Amino acid sequence: MNVETRTRDGVRIVDVSGDVDLKGSPVLRKTLFGALKEAPKVALNLAAIRYIDSSGIAVMIEGLKEAQRLNRDFVLFGMSPAVLDVFKLTHVIRIFRVAETEEEALIA
Amino acid sequence: MMTPELHFEARVVMSSDVRFLPVMRHTMGNLTSELGWSESESRTITLAVEEALTNKIRHAYPNRPEGRIQFEIRIEPGELILRLTDQGVAPDPARICEREQDSLKPGGFGTHIIRDVMDSVVYQTTAEGNELILTKKRPAGEGL
Repeated sequence: MNVETRTRDGVRIVDVSGDVDLKGSPVLRKTLFGALKEAPKVALNLAAIRYIDSSGIAVMIEGLKEAQRLNRDFVLFGMSPAVLDVFKLTHVIRIFRVAETEEEALIA
Repeated sequence: MMTPELHFEARVVMSSDVRFLPVMRHTMGNLTSELGWSESESRTITLAVEEALTNKIRHAYPNRPEGRIQFEIRIEPGELILRLTDQGVAPDPARICEREQDSLKPGGFGTHIIRDVMDSVVYQTTAEGNELILTKKRPAGEGL
C-alpha cells in the first residue's frame, strides 16, 4: 500500500494505492487523521486501491467521525471495483459523501 | 469422455503475523479464479477468508505474532472447503455477527462478511483447537 497527500484548490487530497489490509490500515489512518487536522476539507482518493478489507473500511468510518468532531468536510471519490465490492458487503456506503471524480469531490 | 475428477488439497501452517496475509490473499485469488468464480466473486471469497485469518490474528492471538494458524484448503466436486484452526483464545459466540447494520461503529464487519459470502460457516472447538470451517458451493460448469 502507498499513501500520499497533496493539496488542490485548498482541499487536502489523500491518494491511496495498492492493498489496504490489516498491515496498511494504521498507516492510512495516521495520514488521514493528519490531513484532517491540517485542512478544512479532505478528499480520499480510492481509485487505485486493488484490494481492501474491513480494517480499511473501519479507518474510513473513523475518519468520518474525526471529520465530524473537528467540523471538517470529508468526501470519498474514485470507487474502484474492489472498494465497491467491500462497501456493498458492509452496507456503510450511505454514511459517506461520495463523488465520482476528483473534480466532483472538490466541489462536493 | 468423462472429465477426470480433480484433486486439490493444501495445508499451510502460518504464524499469526499480518505479513503473511498477502500470501494467502494471492493463493485464494488465484484458486477461486481457476475454479470459475467471476472476478468480483473471487474477490469477495478471498476477502471472507482474509477476514477469518485477520480475526484469528487479532482475537485468538492478540499482540502475539508467534501464534500458529493451520489453514487447510480442499476442493470437493461441488464445493470449496476451508478449515482454519488456532490454539489461542476461543471466539466469544456472543460477539460473532454482533455488529448492527446501520451502526457507526468502525469494527465488527469481519464475521458479517464471512457469513454473507460463504454458504456455510461453522465455529467449533475440538481437541485440535478453535476451528472455523467455511464452505462455498462451486459455480456450475465453469473453471476446473
